[in-house]
Amino acid sequence: MKKIKVLHMYADMLDLYGDSGNMEILGYRCKLRGIECQIDKYSVDSEMPDFSGYDLIYIGGGADLEQQHISEDLLKCRDGIIEAYKNGVFMFLICGGYQLMGKYYRDADGNEIPGLGLFSYYTVAPSSRKKRCIGNIVIKAEIDGQKVNVVGFENHGGQTQDVKTPFGEVLYGNGNCSKSSAEGYTEKNVIATYLHGPCLAKNPEVTDHMIKYCLSRNTGEEVKLQPLDDKLEKECRKVMLGRLLNK
Amino acid sequence: MKRLQILIGKIIVKMLRLMKRNAGNLPGIILWHISGHKAVSMFKVDCPIIAITGTNGKTSVTNCIAQLFEKSGKKIIINREGNNLDTGICSLLLRHCDMKGKVDADYLILETDESHVPVVYSQLKLDTLIVLDFFRDQLDRNGEMETLIQKINGFCKKFNGNLILNGDDPNTARLGRANPNNKNVKYFHAERYAFATDKIFEASEGRFCPFCGEPLEYEYYQYSHIGKFHCPKCKFGEYEPYITASNIDLEKPVFTADGHEYSPKLNSIYNVYNMTAVAAAAKLYNIDQKIVDGVISGYTVKNGRMENFMLKDRKTTLNLAKNPVGANMTLRVMNEMQGEKELLFVLNDNVADGLDVSWIWDINFSIFERVTRVVTSGTRAYDIAVRIKCSGYDQSKIVVQPDLDKAVEELASTEGRKFVIANYTAVQPTRSALKRYIAKHGGKTE
Repeated sequence: MKKIKVLHMYADMLDLYGDSGNMEILGYRCKLRGIECQIDKYSVDSEMPDFSGYDLIYIGGGADLEQQHISEDLLKCRDGIIEAYKNGVFMFLICGGYQLMGKYYRDADGNEIPGLGLFSYYTVAPSSRKKRCIGNIVIKAEIDGQKVNVVGFENHGGQTQDVKTPFGEVLYGNGNCSKSSAEGYTEKNVIATYLHGPCLAKNPEVTDHMIKYCLSRNTGEEVKLQPLDDKLEKECRKVMLGRLLNK
Repeated sequence: MKRLQILIGKIIVKMLRLMKRNAGNLPGIILWHISGHKAVSMFKVDCPIIAITGTNGKTSVTNCIAQLFEKSGKKIIINREGNNLDTGICSLLLRHCDMKGKVDADYLILETDESHVPVVYSQLKLDTLIVLDFFRDQLDRNGEMETLIQKINGFCKKFNGNLILNGDDPNTARLGRANPNNKNVKYFHAERYAFATDKIFEASEGRFCPFCGEPLEYEYYQYSHIGKFHCPKCKFGEYEPYITASNIDLEKPVFTADGHEYSPKLNSIYNVYNMTAVAAAAKLYNIDQKIVDGVISGYTVKNGRMENFMLKDRKTTLNLAKNPVGANMTLRVMNEMQGEKELLFVLNDNVADGLDVSWIWDINFSIFERVTRVVTSGTRAYDIAVRIKCSGYDQSKIVVQPDLDKAVEELASTEGRKFVIANYTAVQPTRSALKRYIAKHGGKTE
């Protein structure tokens, strides 16, 4: 049986706007194809895991308070995570998870939470808590060589700057900064994004891309996934695209 | 100046009446502007004010407490329609004050929005604040949970009146420490019921002690993060309850509080909590026990809160769920019931719902038992269908029908027990659709 191993970090603290749903969806799409999806959890004060022993590391988003809580612990994991990233482990990062992998996150009160510095971007929250980027968002991203309209919901104060390789182009919504044209950050083995909803709910291509990556990383061969009946997901996205883009 | 404001307000109320318009909020909004954002500061209230706040249960508890006083022969003023922001309360008081702004009543019983407690009661003297619970609800409107709790906590720091708190919710119980000099803090508590769990069952808030950051330890979880908790390090959560609900049996349903047995009409654990809060208020204000019995045992809800309908001969229960906790509760009631059943889930994403529907992913659908079919409807009918599907439910048993009337027809097209869950703006249209079905095909409204 094919198998992928996932590490879900800080599931008990970083779980806003359905972020844990991403793990449910990943597990669901693996299960339908007879792929074993082992999801381990890591949180503050758990035993230090072997990060490189996983195929995918997932971190969701949290409120400022929770991000402060975990940041110290996250720094303890720094070497292990950097090594895993260099070994090609896939990094799937939402909102707070995205921000904390950059240089730093400065919150609305001016407190600076150091990031892992894995990537060169940084995030600053405006001093007014009322100025948040909130709403539905559509971005055009390239997934497996195909252009895909990825739909989600963003809700962030933080403005992420100095992003070299964004995940997608904003068609509707804000993106990395208020009214910006770029959203998220990507590399061969990284998808970092502000999209909640959860992110994978209406975008099965993104889930499958990560499953494929993990499997082919194990075997070294190109993997073709058994197609699934995604009519509900596709219809769901169609309704939202129709509503948001045809205004 | 204040008299002028009252006069203007009263004229607006009169004009709206003449135009046959509901004066629910508009007069308050206008006064809010002309009074420098102090919409309730011009009123003179000499009687005790009781405010009820929290995410879930405000309306029920407010109505029951109002009944306690009404049946005791007191003159009360209550915002029954749920206009619970400062502007709504302003409009309400405008209708009940004289030209000097003096409000004539024995008690004011006010459902108050969580984020408006500090605003309203920095302007009006509060006798008792009842805080029921804090759950994730329309986060994009209120900002994050912690900000909201901080706001109310800031108010409680200076508050010396009666503070009745849900002692089984760490998010509300923590308010009891805001003002160490307040001797009038009282907690209500409920003992373990049959479906309580040892482990947490649904996604929730408040996993860590707000005072020392230690993970909280639970003896049991009643639902979500509500249960018997304490902090092993700083002893947060160790208090003497003012009133305790015990011998809870939801099959009958019965429970005991302060030695009195009650037989409520509603069989949910959160009704037990709400009614325990009501019993706490009754105890505080020395309400005659016969009246308390009548109110708690007689209370039932319409307006889509566990409301029953017969679609032809098919028993159908509609419940409002504006957040995962409400939805999880309905699923539990559904599961605890024998036999097969079908579910209609109506999900809207209008402004008042909070535009974000991701909260449906915090609903635990994997517990579905004997649910033979699901119909989904509303502006986000497909989102809820995808969510239920990804919980592992067979997608061939899911019917998506965004049109509400057609969705009700679809639900009623088969025999058997039916449940309907609708979120905030969906609940009234859903009631209407159920009633239209009944008018067309027969059945009855309870």
